[in-house]
Amino acid sequence: MAGIVVGIGGSGSGYEAARTGARVADLMKVPLVLVFGYEASAMGPRGGPLEDQIEAVGDEAIAEIRAELAAARPALTIEVEMVRQRPVDALLDVATARNADAIAVGHGGSGPFRAALLGSVTYEIVHRATLPVLVVPNDADDEA
Amino acid sequence: MTTTLDSSSMADKGLKGGSLGLVAVIVIGVASTAPGYSLAASIGLVTGEVGAKAPFVMLFAFVPMACIAASFYYLNKADPDCGTNFTWGVRAFGPKAGWIAGWGCIVADLVIMPNLAGISGQYVVLLFSESAANNIWLTTTIGIAFITTMTWICWKGIELSARSQVLLLGTELAVLGAFAVIAIAKSTGGGITRVVDGTTYQSVSPKLSWISPSGLSTSAITAGLVLAVFIYWGWDTCVSVNEEAKDSSRTPGLAAVFSTVVLLLIYLITAYGSVALLGPQFVSDNSDDAMYALGKVALPTIMVKLLLIAVLTSAAASCQTTILPATRTMLSMGSHGAAPPKLARIDRRRLTPDFSTFLFGGISIVWYVLLVVISHNTSTDAYSASIAAVGLAIAVYYGLSGVSCIVFFRRHLLKSVRHFVMIGVLPAIGGVVLLYVFGKTVWDAAGADYAPGTVFGVGTVLVFGTLLLALGIPLMLVCARKYPAFFRIRPEPADVVKDPTGADTLAEPLGTYRKVAR
Repeated sequence: MAGIVVGIGGSGSGYEAARTGARVADLMKVPLVLVFGYEASAMGPRGGPLEDQIEAVGDEAIAEIRAELAAARPALTIEVEMVRQRPVDALLDVATARNADAIAVGHGGSGPFRAALLGSVTYEIVHRATLPVLVVPNDADDEA
Repeated sequence: MTTTLDSSSMADKGLKGGSLGLVAVIVIGVASTAPGYSLAASIGLVTGEVGAKAPFVMLFAFVPMACIAASFYYLNKADPDCGTNFTWGVRAFGPKAGWIAGWGCIVADLVIMPNLAGISGQYVVLLFSESAANNIWLTTTIGIAFITTMTWICWKGIELSARSQVLLLGTELAVLGAFAVIAIAKSTGGGITRVVDGTTYQSVSPKLSWISPSGLSTSAITAGLVLAVFIYWGWDTCVSVNEEAKDSSRTPGLAAVFSTVVLLLIYLITAYGSVALLGPQFVSDNSDDAMYALGKVALPTIMVKLLLIAVLTSAAASCQTTILPATRTMLSMGSHGAAPPKLARIDRRRLTPDFSTFLFGGISIVWYVLLVVISHNTSTDAYSASIAAVGLAIAVYYGLSGVSCIVFFRRHLLKSVRHFVMIGVLPAIGGVVLLYVFGKTVWDAAGADYAPGTVFGVGTVLVFGTLLLALGIPLMLVCARKYPAFFRIRPEPADVVKDPTGADTLAEPLGTYRKVAR
């Protein structure tokens, strides 16, 4: 069990991290695991249409980046996990369960103060992960 | 190990264990109730209705809200739809009742926005200068900025990190606790006397009788209740997220108990302290900024600033129980075909309902400015009316969910004592009390002398509360013409409803709604 675990968000976010993760995974000959963690709402019921739509967006984002990576690196094994959990917890849980080699996350450029106060996936991952973390600056083209 | 897109990783939806620990669930439960803001907004009004008996009303209002939480819990197990009351109403009574229940939720959230914004504007200014707080243009501008910021935050999907939340809530509770203890200490013994604008206010020694209803008229109690249900609004979310908690056999129960005890305790001692410090009259005379006015008397300057900050952060936190539920209800209504489908649009990057969020924010600002203009140009205190009006809307939509629970699960009521109590008796108590409070308040408010003020010769509360709710009926009829398919949905037959205490409690998708094909 090994692999590079990459966090994918809504459309566009995490794509650059996935590309870098794919390069590393290809070199290491380990699988690349794309993780879409989502939480419809921290408050109240989460189910129903909102969650369905978020899943649809996640499916689409994953399919898009997966197709791109598969075309570029035919030898790479790409796996997908959709997890109904806060993105950070989803990433850490998948990485731990798989005994992954590293986590790759995108970084959108929120400053340290904002990140500490408001929370940011990257910030929290870096501080909570017990395995190496690869922080990849987001590609400007992917930023919506 | 390979999981493909269409695999079963999503089939266990609704059963996936979450990651909320005990502290997190308590923090969510208490923070979403926003005790600091709730007290600041309502203590003066409640005291105005029931005088020194405010602690009793504060405690008593919890009873129907707790009972309704039971129906939320079980209905959520059957259909964890973000439309909550709307979808449950449709299942139990059909599309029209469901539509009105959803509308009630949206109205409640909309009506409270000006109050949130108004208090925030006022307290931000008070933080720097007391005299400037009377400048209506300044406070209104800050209030509009507040709504805009909150809307933006909800659109971005930003949630405070868990640590910030614990810190903010901790400060809030500590300041409120210190305020209450100091206020009660000062009011015992000789007490203190203050003269404000020629009126002399004198401390009253706290009495145990303040938590008994003796001597109160039914009208006073219902008037107090309709204001006080508002302070527990949001507490139920704590119960609803239970399924997500770690170790879900123990955490939810403990968290619910803890957060309830914390909330009740803080409301009780703060109500006692507020009423005792300079007597009930002072609190109701300063209902706009009661916490601040009292804090100035009871607390050292630095603590007063902290109190202002606590109320402000608490007001900001309660946007989670205001904008989020409203927009989720709008999304659900749009998605189920009961309202324009655009309401269901989500931002593909931020994964939040963008159109609903902006629409709600925009209408909130318009509504806020309208209320400011009305308040400024007439003798009507529209802010105070808005708290009572929100109480009315809460009473309607919570009351409806209590009744929905009983009707929806009617085949399971008599299965065991537990079934009977949890899905029968408790929802019935909550539903009946709230619907009674609604009816009684509308009845009382129809009288022109009903506080706080009148417009067009009838009670302001009646105008704001009931007219907004009633506006739902023509809107619903318009939707019924445009979206006939939704309005053909029939209530769920009792025999297809699953046992809410069983292993598989999920109901079939609602009416025309089908799972997204993948």
